[in-house]
Amino acid sequence: MRVWLGLVLALLLGLAVAACAGALWASPADLWRALSGDPSMASRLLVEWRLPRVLAAALVGALLGLGGTIYQGVFRNPLAEPYLLGSAGGAAVGATVALLVPLALPQPLLLPVLAFAGAWAATMLVLGIARVAGAVDAAGLLLAGVAVAAILGALRSFLMLALSDETVSLQVVMSWVLGGIQTPSWRGIALLVAITVACLGLSLLFARRLDLLGLGETMATAFGLDTRRVVAEAVLAGSVIVAAAVAFGGLVAFVGLAAPHIARWLVGPLHRPLLPASALVGAIVVTLADAIARAVLPPAEIPLGLVTAIAGGPFFILLLARRLRT
Amino acid sequence: MSSLAAESLTVKREGATLIDGVSLVLGPRGSVAVIGPNGAGKSTLLRTLAGVDMPTSGHVRLDGQNLAGLASIERAQAIGFLPQAFEPHWDLSVADLLQLGAARATALPADAVAKAKHAFELSGLEARRWSTLSGGERARVLLATVLVVDPPVLIADEPSAALDIRHRLDTIRTLATRGREPLGEGRLSVVVVHDLDLAFRFFERVVLLVAGKVLADAPADQLIHDPRLDEAFGVRFERLKIGGRWMLTPSPNLSP
Repeated sequence: MRVWLGLVLALLLGLAVAACAGALWASPADLWRALSGDPSMASRLLVEWRLPRVLAAALVGALLGLGGTIYQGVFRNPLAEPYLLGSAGGAAVGATVALLVPLALPQPLLLPVLAFAGAWAATMLVLGIARVAGAVDAAGLLLAGVAVAAILGALRSFLMLALSDETVSLQVVMSWVLGGIQTPSWRGIALLVAITVACLGLSLLFARRLDLLGLGETMATAFGLDTRRVVAEAVLAGSVIVAAAVAFGGLVAFVGLAAPHIARWLVGPLHRPLLPASALVGAIVVTLADAIARAVLPPAEIPLGLVTAIAGGPFFILLLARRLRT
Repeated sequence: MSSLAAESLTVKREGATLIDGVSLVLGPRGSVAVIGPNGAGKSTLLRTLAGVDMPTSGHVRLDGQNLAGLASIERAQAIGFLPQAFEPHWDLSVADLLQLGAARATALPADAVAKAKHAFELSGLEARRWSTLSGGERARVLLATVLVVDPPVLIADEPSAALDIRHRLDTIRTLATRGREPLGEGRLSVVVVHDLDLAFRFFERVVLLVAGKVLADAPADQLIHDPRLDEAFGVRFERLKIGGRWMLTPSPNLSP
């Protein structure tokens, strides 16, 4: 119970700090005034621009935490991560097509659908390669993922070069590839909240089955689990979640890796507590990373994906080294 | 209900025939040891009997019902399977594992987990994580996890991890009797046993498997005198009577 209270408090604190941070720092008093309906320009900027951005960052972080937890559960591997395994790369290819290819459907509909299709196809490809090669251990899986991610990255760059004739759309794609929370309207925030809650519910449906999967193929089967079916369904659910995160936040590396790890230290490996805890940790991490992205180089903004990669890369190397030693 | 029948069971993997037309009727009550030299197909036979692996041809029937047609959750409640090696991917606690074992039963007496903890001497270990447990503790935790729902059938591949003699005795005895002496009504226990003396000492019936076929299948006190044992293991056994019980010891002259 204390852990949960701590996580929620940390998130609230993180949100407050992030709301103050930016090219122009606001004091807690400014924030309070803006929230209580002050009509001044500064207050309105805070409420209409910064707060939605801060909330969007937290929600994207929660989605990344959920997605990462599902991927680690499916691959039974603490080094699995949507970004490293090519799923996020697949989503990015789908989204690039949606942004740059003039298609009959409206973009707001097309982008999430194509992002999902890309994420799902990439994950199934990695899973298929690992299965055919008989490599379900950490190294084999990561290598398959790295290869697929590299191919998808090249494909995305090619699409960007070949398809864009105006620099504007290219810039949209670029900012998105490097990872960055778009500032949504308050209606957009409501949609994102609904999506995040739905994704949490969806992932909790898999909690017990992911626990059983973690016992290994043999024990899971002996305990009545159809492992192949669970893997297929969970990859589908994980792809939906990754696609949602990518659609709102672009390519943000390593949060999906770090959040489940930190959450596992806090609440243990059973998925029913782990999934919501990962969502909270992911929300805290991305809220703070986004604040750093906005505040470090004023008036410019550095891409969020760079902040998480710089912080998360060493974390990953540490985990890898520890795992290889044992 | 706990009778398990193999009907001309054949298992082929990548061109090799691991189980070759095995027919067996096991249960509805009793303890059965499966013995045989390395590579005889003991583990494959048990995994197939437990429904963890599918046979290439033939059937396994649980109380007359084809195992392949049974809902997997019903199978999981009726058959407890203990694999030879078990390493969870996450560092679960003892309490987590017991909870996962108990969750496969649709209805479980409220004190089932407490009973299992008591029977396998796990009180006080609940919060310990798998990585911190000793070999003996792991064996007990795994047994408790499998047996917490008291499945009618227990199929166990003897944990080959190095256990000391006391823990090995304890484990084999528990597998044979499921912690209840004598073995309860309607309870069947089928166990791969590597130590022949323990097989003949604790089990009522012994099945000798060689090259994927059943070479001999008889009550333990009869099979111990069977010359096919010597043939199967490629050694000559001397049979000694110690304390009123027959024991096997390989003769120094190795050829049969």
